[in-house]
Amino acid sequence: MQKIIFGRSFNFWEEKEKEIFEKSGVHIDKYPSFVAKMSSGLLKSLKKKLIKARRKRINMTVNKEQKIRMYRTMTRIRELENKLEQIYRDGKLNGHLHTSHGEEAIAVGVMEALSEKDIIFSNHRGHGHYLARGTSPKNIMAECYGKVTGTNQGRSGSMYLVDSERGMPVASGIVGGNICVATGSALASLIKQDNIVTLSIFGDGATNIGFFHEALNMAALWNLPIVYICENNQYGEATKREQHQKVKNISDRAIAYAMSGLTIDGTDVIKVYESVKQAVEKARRGGGPTLVECVAYRLRGHSAGDLAVYRPKGEEEEWMKIHDPIKKYKKQLLEQGVLNSQEVEKIEKKIQKEIKEAVRFAVESEAPLAETVGKYVYQED
Amino acid sequence: MTKMMYIEALRAALREEMRKDKNVFIMGEDVTRYGFGINRGLVDEFGSDRVRNTPISEAAIIGSAVGAALRGMRPIVEIMFVDFIMIGMDQIVNQAAKMSYLSNGELSVPMVIRAPEGTEWFGAGAQHSQTLHSIFMNIPGLKLVIPSDPYDAKGLLKSAIRDDNPVIFFEHKQLYTQKGEVPEEEYIIPLGKAAVKREGKDLTLVATSWMVKHSLEVAEDLKSKISIEVIDPRTLVPLDKDTIINSVKKTGRLLVVDESPVNGGVQGEIISVAMKEAFWNMESPPKRIGSLNTPIPFSSSLEKEVIPTKEKIKREIMSMFSE
Repeated sequence: MQKIIFGRSFNFWEEKEKEIFEKSGVHIDKYPSFVAKMSSGLLKSLKKKLIKARRKRINMTVNKEQKIRMYRTMTRIRELENKLEQIYRDGKLNGHLHTSHGEEAIAVGVMEALSEKDIIFSNHRGHGHYLARGTSPKNIMAECYGKVTGTNQGRSGSMYLVDSERGMPVASGIVGGNICVATGSALASLIKQDNIVTLSIFGDGATNIGFFHEALNMAALWNLPIVYICENNQYGEATKREQHQKVKNISDRAIAYAMSGLTIDGTDVIKVYESVKQAVEKARRGGGPTLVECVAYRLRGHSAGDLAVYRPKGEEEEWMKIHDPIKKYKKQLLEQGVLNSQEVEKIEKKIQKEIKEAVRFAVESEAPLAETVGKYVYQED
Repeated sequence: MTKMMYIEALRAALREEMRKDKNVFIMGEDVTRYGFGINRGLVDEFGSDRVRNTPISEAAIIGSAVGAALRGMRPIVEIMFVDFIMIGMDQIVNQAAKMSYLSNGELSVPMVIRAPEGTEWFGAGAQHSQTLHSIFMNIPGLKLVIPSDPYDAKGLLKSAIRDDNPVIFFEHKQLYTQKGEVPEEEYIIPLGKAAVKREGKDLTLVATSWMVKHSLEVAEDLKSKISIEVIDPRTLVPLDKDTIINSVKKTGRLLVVDESPVNGGVQGEIISVAMKEAFWNMESPPKRIGSLNTPIPFSSSLEKEVIPTKEKIKREIMSMFSE
C-alpha cells in the first residue's frame, strides 16, 4: 500500500515565502531535494512560519456551518452512489458506472475551496464532483436512468455529466481527456484577465498519458491560472499504482515542469480544502499552476460489476479502518462537538430520504423523445 | 479585385477577423516566424498573446483550443502538417465534436483548425504528404472546409472563424502559391454552398482542393470533345448535395476526384449521395479517382503513381464515353 507522505510539498513558494526562507539562509532552488537536505528542526520551524504567513493572506478558517455542509455533502455522495450501485446490480441501469467510494473528501474539499465563477473539468468518476458543486441528485440520478430530466437530457449517462450553470463543462470519459481542455480554459482566463481559476480533476492512471505531460508543460510555461487535482486512488482500472508508474509521489512529476506540487491526505476533507484553497488563490493572484496529489483509496472496483478480485486480501479492510473519509470526518466532528450523534443521525436520515426522492423523480421522468436525437450535434440544430 | 496568392488571402482573412473580434487568436507551432508563412507579420500587429507560439504538443494545442473556445474565445489552431493532427485526434473526436451534443447545445466550441495537407511539389514522403479529410467526415459534430482558390479561401476562412462549431480547414500545400482574383471589399462565403467552377452538359466532375485545378485544365483540354461541368463542394460538411445532384441529373455522368485514398474516401460518399437521387438519370456508371491505397512514397517516380494526375483524370473520362 502506498506510504503517504502527507503534507509534502515543493516549489510552492510565493514571493513573501521565499523571503522568509532566504532570510533563514536557505537556498531556494527548483528542486525539492534541498528540503531533504535541511535538518528537520530547521524545516519544522520554517514550515511554521510559512504556514503562519500564508494564513495571514488567505482566509482558510472553516466555520461551523461549512463543516456541517461538508459532512452533509460527503454523506450525500456516498448515499447516492450506494443507491446507484444497488440499482445497477438490480439490472435497472444501463451503461458504465464508476463510483467514488473512499474519495468523497476530495470532491467536497476541492469544491469548498472554489469561488462561484471558477471552472471545473471533471471525469468519468464524477458524481461526487457535481454533487459537491451543487448539482441536484435528482438530475444526476435521472441522467443515469437516461431520462430527459437528466443533466444532459439523457444524452450522457453517468460518465459525461454537465452543469454549465455551475461552471462544470462536459466531463471526460477518456482517461486524462480533460487535462488539455482545462488548460485551454485557463489560457482563456489569462488572455481575458477574468480572475477565474480552472480545475482539472483526474486519477492516478491519467498521469501516464501524454495529455498530462503536454498540458503541465504548457501551463507552467505560460503561468496559467489552473490547479490540477490528481485523485490518486491507487488503482488505474485494475492495475495497482506501483505497477503502472515508478515515481513514488505523483506530485514529483510537477518538478519536471518547474511547477508547484503537493501530496496531501485525500481522505481528510479539511486538509484537502486548505491545500486546494492555497493553490487556487495562488493561481488567482498570478502565481501559476499547481499539481495537487490527493491520496485516497478506491473502496470499489473500477466500475460497477468489477469485484476487484485483483486486490490483495484484506487491503480494502485495512484502509477502511483508518481512512474511510466519512467515518474519519464524522468522528472528528463528534469529538469537536460540532455535531452530536442525534444531529448526525438526522442528517443521514434526511439524505437517505432525499436520495430516495431522487430515484422516484428519475423513474417517473420521461425518456427523451426519439425525434430529438439529431438535436445539438451542431449549434444551429 | 486584386490578384493575390492563396496564403495572402488566408492571411487577409485572419487579419480582418482578428481586427473585428478580440476573442479571435492564433496558436500553433512557430506561428510567428516559421512554417508556410500564412501568419507572417500578424504577430507585429496583434502581439504574441494573440499570435501564440506553442510547444510541439499537438494534443495540448488542440485540447487547449477546445477549452479556450468553451470559454468564449475563438481560437484558430495551426497544425503544421495535417499528418500531425493525429496526435490531437482524441481532443477533436472525443472532446470538441461532442461538447455541444452532450451539453444539450449549452456549450459551444467555436474553433478552427487549419491543416495543410496533400503532396508537396518536391516530395515529403509518408508522414508529411497525406490527405486525411475523409477520416473526419465520419465524425458528427465537425465541419470540414476545403477551399481550392484564393477567393474561396478568404471567404470561407472568415465564415469558419465566425462559425460556432469546431471547423477543420484543409489547405492543399500546392495551392499556397496559386494566385487568383480577390475583391478588395469585405465578403464571406457561407459554409455548405458548392461552387460551379465551370459549366458543362456531358459530365459532372466533382473535384476538391488541388484537384479542382487539375480538373479545370482537363475540362479545357477536352472541350472540343466533351463539355465538362466542374463542381467544387468547398465544404464537405455541410455538403451541398443539391448542387451536385442537379448537375448529375443534367449531365447523366459523374466522376469524383479527390486526393484521399479511395478506400472509404469522400469520393464514394459523394457518389452515394448523388446516386440516391440521380440514379435513373445516369448514362454510365459513376466513377471515382483518389490516391492508391498505399502510403505516399518519396521518390517522385513512385509518388506520381499514387496520387491523382491530369492524365489519370483524362483517361478515366475517356473510358466513361467509350463504354
